[in-house]
Amino acid sequence: MSHPYQNTGDFDTIPMHQFNPAFQSASLERQSALPPDGTHYEFATYGYPETRAHLEPPGPELHRGGFRSLHRTQTTDNRYGDNRETKDDIAMENLLKRLPSRQLESAANNAAKTLHRRHSRNKSRHGAIYHSTLRDGDLEDMIGSSSLLDADEEERVEEAIRSTPATMATRRSMIQKLSSRKRKSPGFMKRMNYSIGMGWKHFKDNMAELKYTMQLWHSHLKKIEGHFGTNVLSYFVFLKWLLLINIPTLLLTLGFIVAPQIIYRWLQQDTLGYISSEKFSGMELLTGAGWFEPTELYYGYYTNKTIQVIGSKSYKMQVAYLFTCGGYYLLTIIILGQSILSSYRKYYIEAGGFQSMQIVFKVLCSWDHGLTSAEAVKLKHKSVYLEFKEYLAGANKDKMRKTMIDRCKLFWLRVFTNVVVLVLIGASGYLVFYLSGTQLNRNTLFSNQTTSAAGVSTNETKNPWLLLVLPLCIGLIHRIMPIMFDFIEGYEQYEIPKSELYMHLSRSMVLRVTTLSVLVIYWYTEVSQSPDVPCWETFMGQELYRLVIVDFIFTLFSTLISELIRRLLVGRVKRVTHPTFALARNTLELIYSQALCWLGTFFAPLLSLIVIIKLIIIFYIKMISVLQNCKPSERPWRATWSHTIFLGYLFLFYLLTTVAVACGIIFIKPSIGCGPYQGKDVMYSVVPELVDSWKEEYAWISTVIYFVSSPGFIAAILVALGMGVYMIRTIMMGRQEAVQRLKQQLVLEGKDKTFLLNLLNQVTERHTCTSVSTTVRPLTQQISPQDDIVSPGGRVFVRSLAESTLGGR
Amino acid sequence: MGAVQSVFTEQELDNYQALTYLSKRAILNVYKRFSSLNPTAILHDKNARMPFSTVTDIQELRANPFKDQLMKVFSSSPDGMTFEDFLDMISVFSDEAPKSVKVEYAFRIYDFDGDDMISSNDLKEVINRLTGDDNAFTEGEMQLLIDNILEESDLDVDDALSFAEFEHVISKAPDFSSSFRIRL
Repeated sequence: MSHPYQNTGDFDTIPMHQFNPAFQSASLERQSALPPDGTHYEFATYGYPETRAHLEPPGPELHRGGFRSLHRTQTTDNRYGDNRETKDDIAMENLLKRLPSRQLESAANNAAKTLHRRHSRNKSRHGAIYHSTLRDGDLEDMIGSSSLLDADEEERVEEAIRSTPATMATRRSMIQKLSSRKRKSPGFMKRMNYSIGMGWKHFKDNMAELKYTMQLWHSHLKKIEGHFGTNVLSYFVFLKWLLLINIPTLLLTLGFIVAPQIIYRWLQQDTLGYISSEKFSGMELLTGAGWFEPTELYYGYYTNKTIQVIGSKSYKMQVAYLFTCGGYYLLTIIILGQSILSSYRKYYIEAGGFQSMQIVFKVLCSWDHGLTSAEAVKLKHKSVYLEFKEYLAGANKDKMRKTMIDRCKLFWLRVFTNVVVLVLIGASGYLVFYLSGTQLNRNTLFSNQTTSAAGVSTNETKNPWLLLVLPLCIGLIHRIMPIMFDFIEGYEQYEIPKSELYMHLSRSMVLRVTTLSVLVIYWYTEVSQSPDVPCWETFMGQELYRLVIVDFIFTLFSTLISELIRRLLVGRVKRVTHPTFALARNTLELIYSQALCWLGTFFAPLLSLIVIIKLIIIFYIKMISVLQNCKPSERPWRATWSHTIFLGYLFLFYLLTTVAVACGIIFIKPSIGCGPYQGKDVMYSVVPELVDSWKEEYAWISTVIYFVSSPGFIAAILVALGMGVYMIRTIMMGRQEAVQRLKQQLVLEGKDKTFLLNLLNQVTERHTCTSVSTTVRPLTQQISPQDDIVSPGGRVFVRSLAESTLGGR
Repeated sequence: MGAVQSVFTEQELDNYQALTYLSKRAILNVYKRFSSLNPTAILHDKNARMPFSTVTDIQELRANPFKDQLMKVFSSSPDGMTFEDFLDMISVFSDEAPKSVKVEYAFRIYDFDGDDMISSNDLKEVINRLTGDDNAFTEGEMQLLIDNILEESDLDVDDALSFAEFEHVISKAPDFSSSFRIRL
């Protein structure tokens, strides 16, 4: 009888080259059985044409946790004659057509194929979950076959070998086999590509080595991770990252602005020291005024002359200042954009829709292997236990749907609270505005005394503390308002604590943005017009410097209070719990200080240096405080996808500060009497003048510029960009659809097994009367333990299947 | 690179670098740590096998509840772990290893009985290890947890997670790579 299952004792292979795989599924190929008695079964595999699963009993080298190292080896010999193959093929093909997963074949086939082809051309760079571009059978093929490889393929094969889950000895033998093969003698172009590629790879390797040795604070971060896990670690990593992105800014300003200024002064040899009537007292570090004022710290000190260095080479300070500013803003946006994109891709696109899988994540991904201290591990156990308990409680609770009235009430309550919050923020903004006004008066009096060298004495006592009033008030507002927001949020009845947290963060952020914008607007409009302030840019720089310093002091104090003092009070005072590290609040403070740095670097070029020093000190203080005072929190916190949110906030602040500084450059008249732009109408006017001077020298530049700025050209560029965006968008939608189909396919593939099992049942039932009655018994004997029939995966399934067909012969 | 450099030839180091995701200095650092477990034995034979109990004594693994599985999965033989196995393990747990490799090994680590599927018993064992010895669930709670897990992730409804389903779940977990990491 030519029944497809009963031709031989073995369960036949299905010659793959006869039909199209629905999609490449390595998964089902994995369910290769390892019957303990060592008989050979050739098991049906889907997915890759001309692959046959040739199962071997596990050898001593391959025995690792029950796994074989390579899933398949390829046998190219064909056991059966051609005739039988065609008959079997047709029967098998018909059967396979009836499988549930094949129903989507025609549609999914093309989509999947093109998708896979496209993917296999891209290198998977970002640790994505894509399979390696070479299938394992492919790998064996390439290593074993006699055809020649070229450099590209060789690199891919090497990468595939590296990611093969086998012992090192196996991998080494694979690589040796690979290298012992002859290579194609490539043409000239290929050889050049190869050597360039090799050179680049060596360079990257050396960079990686360098990165490994020069890791900043590696041991400290490891200690923190060991005690607290990746959540708290993410704050410190963020701090380190901010430090690193400030360094290029610092280098640019030092190299192009500060150094030429110093050279100029040295060349002038006018004054061998700073012109200042003030003696240096410690107060200057706080206020930034006084002795610091006419120094390189502030904009006002820089010259507007062109510096004649050697002979005819001249260095135009005006041009340099503006272009350096543009340079570091551009650099920062490139770095920020890249990190946001990679973070977004990693955590949102690939994660996509993970809300539905809470418990699975908790079980499979929640253990942090970086934890090393026993105490932290114990706490982590407890935290996981609490999480599970909470989940169980939530799963059991009936979700009561709120009534319409309740929802209405909640909606209006939230509207009301948001209005209250906006009013509070507006009030703080007005307070800042008012204080700036009084501050202006105070500062005028203060600085009048320093600049009027004629010794006009006034009755006002010089009190530098007055200068700090505004920054202190702003700092207090920023710390106290969030407490009030917290209080309000208590009434808003958020169900998910995470949305409450993000609401709180957004409100704090809006508060800070408001205060900063009020200040900046005030400075631009009032101060620049005020006759009392000779140099408004320096004034702005000073104010920002003071803000940075006061912010630093407040950070230190809040660390002290919220961590050290709380720990000391834990045993003694009731209702004081052990402090935990407040990740969100601290990160927001870091973001704010970075925004201040970006805002202020144009007006006080050395501010980036000060912020770097501040970050270093904060790192050590926070680290010591966390290790000494805090306990790991028992609440879980997903630090990873909040990382994207924090980067988003940082980017938003960056955009706002860029806009603010750009407005200052383009619209506000620079002060007459100080700074590189004395006497000009607006600072930006340097650029057109520069372009004009080029036009005089090189005539063709004017035609180029005329062409580039003509409306036709700009329209053409805009249209091209629009088309590019549209095209990328359609590709994205196509891929999303393919992903959906593939997901459906995945589910249906799983149903194949049940289908096959049912079919098998039918088949064996049909044959019970004709064959020996013992055929039924092995199957039923296997069936009776309930779990065998319900879990047809793995060895059990195939063994039962095989034994039943064996018995049926 | 110090005195340790005399242990490996340049060719061997290159080899290791091609086979793992670590840089040369990192490989030497791993060697240093491994040989500090039993310096005389390692000096005698680079590929000596260390018993599992010695290897799990290092600070990074001491408190890990899955350390026995780690030993079992990465060793090439049940008697102990050689330097190369240890290097393999550190390479998989490093930052540079791609997610696919980590997922492979995570599956093996969580598969306690070694049958290529994460069945209910495996899940039970995982949960017990996660919550530690002093926190336990009742039978009913455990069953409920397992049922929910399988409901969310078991696509072909066979009461166990195959590798495909496991991979499918992990591909959506954003913080898997950062938690599946050991720094040496």
